[in-house]
Amino acid sequence: MENLEEKIVQADSLETLEKVRVELFGKKGFIATEFAKMKEVPGPKKKAYAEGLNKRKASLQRSFDARFKLLKAQEVERLLKREAIDVSLYGSQGQKGALHPVMETMDKIIDYFVALNFAVEQGPMVEDDFHNFEALNLPKYHPARDMQDTFYFNDASLLRTHTSPVQIRTMMERKPPIRMIAPGTVFRRDYDLTHTPMFHQVEGLVVDAKDKVSFANLKSILTDFLQYMFGEVEVRFRPSFFPFTEPSAEVDISCIFCEGEGCRVCSHTGWLEVLGCGIVDPNVFKSVGYEDVSGYAFGLGVERFAMLMHKIPDLRSLFEGDIRLLEQFR
Amino acid sequence: MIVTRSWLSEFIDLSDVSNSTLYKTFNAIGLEVDSIEQIKIAPKVVVGEILSCEKHPDADKLNVCQIETGDGVKQIVCGAANVVDAKFVAVATIGAVLPGDFKIKPAKLRGVESAGMVCSSGELGLPEMGKGIMILDESIGTLEVGREVGSYEKVADTIITLELTANRGDCLSIYGVARDLSAALNIEMKPFEYKQTEKMKLGIAREADLQVKGTINADLCYKLASLHSLSETLLLQLRLGMVGVQAEGKLASILAYATHTTGVILRAYKSEVFTKGKKCLVEAVQNTIALTDICAGSQVVSTVGVNQSTESIATDTTTKLFLEASYVNPDQLTEAVVEAGLSSDELYYKTSRGSNPDLNFGLSYLAMLMAGYTDINCYEGMMDYRVQREKQKIIVDAKEVSSIIGMTIESGRVVTILQKLGFAISSMGDNIVAVTVPLFRHDIRNIQDITEEIVRIVGINNIEAKPLVFAEEVRLNSTTQRYHLKKQLRNRAVGAGFYENVSYIFAQREVLEKYDFATVVSELDLTNPIAEELNTLRSTTLTNLLNAAKRNVSYTKKSIPLFEIGAVFDANRQQREVLSFLFSGELTQESVTNAGKPKMVDFATFTEKMGAVIGAFELVACSHKNGLLHPYQSADILIDGKVCGFVSKLHPTVEDAFDLPVTFIAELDFDAVMPRHINATPISKFQGVYKDLSVVIDKSVSYSHVAKVLAGIDAPMLKSYYPVDIYEDEKLGDQKSLTIRFVIQSMEKTLKDSDTEAVLQRIMQALQEECGATLR
Repeated sequence: MENLEEKIVQADSLETLEKVRVELFGKKGFIATEFAKMKEVPGPKKKAYAEGLNKRKASLQRSFDARFKLLKAQEVERLLKREAIDVSLYGSQGQKGALHPVMETMDKIIDYFVALNFAVEQGPMVEDDFHNFEALNLPKYHPARDMQDTFYFNDASLLRTHTSPVQIRTMMERKPPIRMIAPGTVFRRDYDLTHTPMFHQVEGLVVDAKDKVSFANLKSILTDFLQYMFGEVEVRFRPSFFPFTEPSAEVDISCIFCEGEGCRVCSHTGWLEVLGCGIVDPNVFKSVGYEDVSGYAFGLGVERFAMLMHKIPDLRSLFEGDIRLLEQFR
Repeated sequence: MIVTRSWLSEFIDLSDVSNSTLYKTFNAIGLEVDSIEQIKIAPKVVVGEILSCEKHPDADKLNVCQIETGDGVKQIVCGAANVVDAKFVAVATIGAVLPGDFKIKPAKLRGVESAGMVCSSGELGLPEMGKGIMILDESIGTLEVGREVGSYEKVADTIITLELTANRGDCLSIYGVARDLSAALNIEMKPFEYKQTEKMKLGIAREADLQVKGTINADLCYKLASLHSLSETLLLQLRLGMVGVQAEGKLASILAYATHTTGVILRAYKSEVFTKGKKCLVEAVQNTIALTDICAGSQVVSTVGVNQSTESIATDTTTKLFLEASYVNPDQLTEAVVEAGLSSDELYYKTSRGSNPDLNFGLSYLAMLMAGYTDINCYEGMMDYRVQREKQKIIVDAKEVSSIIGMTIESGRVVTILQKLGFAISSMGDNIVAVTVPLFRHDIRNIQDITEEIVRIVGINNIEAKPLVFAEEVRLNSTTQRYHLKKQLRNRAVGAGFYENVSYIFAQREVLEKYDFATVVSELDLTNPIAEELNTLRSTTLTNLLNAAKRNVSYTKKSIPLFEIGAVFDANRQQREVLSFLFSGELTQESVTNAGKPKMVDFATFTEKMGAVIGAFELVACSHKNGLLHPYQSADILIDGKVCGFVSKLHPTVEDAFDLPVTFIAELDFDAVMPRHINATPISKFQGVYKDLSVVIDKSVSYSHVAKVLAGIDAPMLKSYYPVDIYEDEKLGDQKSLTIRFVIQSMEKTLKDSDTEAVLQRIMQALQEECGATLR
């Protein structure tokens, strides 16, 4: 009797166990043979005999099941083991590409303003003097034109030096109120460590009824915007001059590299200049035929934002399709 | 504009104002501080008095000086030639450490003991001024022997570089900057007064006349002087050095100093230039509305505010000269100068941005300077001409100012600020004042300009931010939607493994021509390109992508997948937006999965990747022509049946020219990949079947031709079809076997074999008739 239990426990593979199963539970196996002996058992003892045998069968079955479960588990484990690989060999090989950091920064800027119910507007890159300068209160020979070295064409058209002509075009097409941004490519004839002949700007314009839009509103939105972009920075407004806004201001954030202590990036001032803004000059409204309105406008350079946010050291590398730079943004 | 703290102090008391307050104030009022530098003179550099100076016994070029340094007489050997003329000098005594860690120790020079060093300005860290040592005079303050030179505020000054905006011509002088500070810091300006004591009783009228011809738009004022000797003070040289103003000669230095101080345009002429008979005649002649010429006889010797002929400029040796102060309204000047093609000198920068119109101030200041250090005699009186200029008046309502700013500014505050800035005010009733704009603020023209002045002085940082309340409105216009779709597409391209490229919209005309791309006609081309290789607008993004790929190869990149969405321009300079792809080299990164040898990119994978970005498209034989295309592996891309671009293997010669491995390119109209409106078609509830047909056709028959024929078959149960195999061998000769898989399905019933057979027969019949196909 002991022998049978032993046989189950000693089966060391599913195949051996199967043989034991046939030996025990098969048609000619132990249990069947024992049951066959029933007819020889005298009547009154039959019941006890059957009960004893059933118990014995159940006990053997339990032992068998336990052994089967164990051996099955070992078998699966063996199979799994055979499929083992060094997963560390397969860390992402980066089949994903990457967005360009300047474009990705532009996306982030646009997202903010679209969430604030601004419309996105656009205009042509080849512009005329009227839309790029004249209508923006930059008459010919205005000293401020020196600030923007311009690419001209032989027919006196030009490559827009800022996205501001989009303001003019939008205002000439539509009636106020206006709430728009103009993201786009702009051009200045300049090439050195900190200037490329092409770069990107995002321009914003809000126009509403007279006395509605104030400098305080501009301060509110730009402070919030800069903290959305750069985190918990201090924002400083400095009066400045742009021909198309009056009053005008340049906006600085506390240096994100040295937290205002003074470092090379902020020229030891503790501040980084990041955008320009102001209340729209009445001459601009006049040139597009608007009356009794008020408005603010702002503009920023996307490359500067991208470089500051991602600590990109070299402006020119942004236009070379250098995968060593781009793949860092996967 | 560069100013110094002590120079500003001539006009405004800054004794209670720290440098950091100055820095903050300048930035707050819109005079951006570029740099602020406090000059520090090393300790133990003291005022010394030279008691005697003798030649060194053994060296021609050395002098042995006995110098009182306040700490006893010291013997110091000095190599500068000008020490013989000096009385007071800066002496670095033993223990002083000069810039460059130069330690002063007792020394022996050619056998003579020397206990210190007589210093030049450069050695002390001051601007270089001429040759030799720095000779001290009382222009820097009372000289006290033994006092440290660094304790003289005018020497150990603070240099502040301001970046002025184009509208602030009024701050192109020390006086103008002081005036702005006065308003911001609420400190009164010091009055400037100088009464000339005229040594000569001779009136100018006996010697000279001023004649005006035509209507001139210039204020002019002349003094006549006879000059006997000139000297400059140390302070004048020091300060000109600190602010980086260069002038040749003493007279020019004095004039430049006076102009930098007052902002008045000052010039000096040799009087002989104007001699006509016994007297001098200065003629001011109208040239254009904006330009006035100063003429001597038939010669133009100067255009007011713009230039002056070299021959007429008075020098240090001129004995009789005219001193001129002038003012021109800058508004039309720049245009006139450009149109007349005039050359201009350094004073023109000031004139064109608005110089100081207070000519008397300029001349008096000049006279004060000269009286101190020069033997000059001015003739009594002056000759002048003043244009009657109407001063601009602006009605200012404090409420309007407040509304622009978004914060209440009391009327009284507005008045105070404007008065400090030199505006004249007269009240017109409740909150409303009439403001008269001074001539030196020609940039102020309307209420918003006035508001800017208020904002500057109040300080933007003191304005409370308030969010704008506005009416909501749908602003999701077509450009905004296009932007969102573009962003989705860019993200799909990234998902398909491409890197986003951004390149200049410029190209090199010669390169575009070489590869047969369109070029902007020359009448419409760039006039002033920045470089030869960027000399025109691009008509394709591909040459830029090829350059980017080439750079990446040189950076040892082996797999270069790039895409770009950008503007290109046709021959007529019409702008359109294209989407382009470039894939160069290995299809995937080298890894254990490919045993370090990834497959190279091929036509099938490239187009498959494009499909993951732009969705379904068809390819047909290429109708495009340019030098980048591979003649046998290129295709037109069709979306919705319309050609919208091309895809190709890069021509091997171009691969060579750019040093690229196998490369594929594609460029298509961005508009074509915009998603279009889709109406759903009903889906059959009955099972369909897939059936393959292999047909033998001529090699020259393209699949697109076969597909066209299939599209023409009128069989509603034929749902779709696509090629699944192509086979060629010698036995087939000029023919090929093409296997097409058909999906056949009915909307109404379960298909019977006979239905399927019928459809296949119609297909076979059409292919036989129109493609010459036979069943394989």
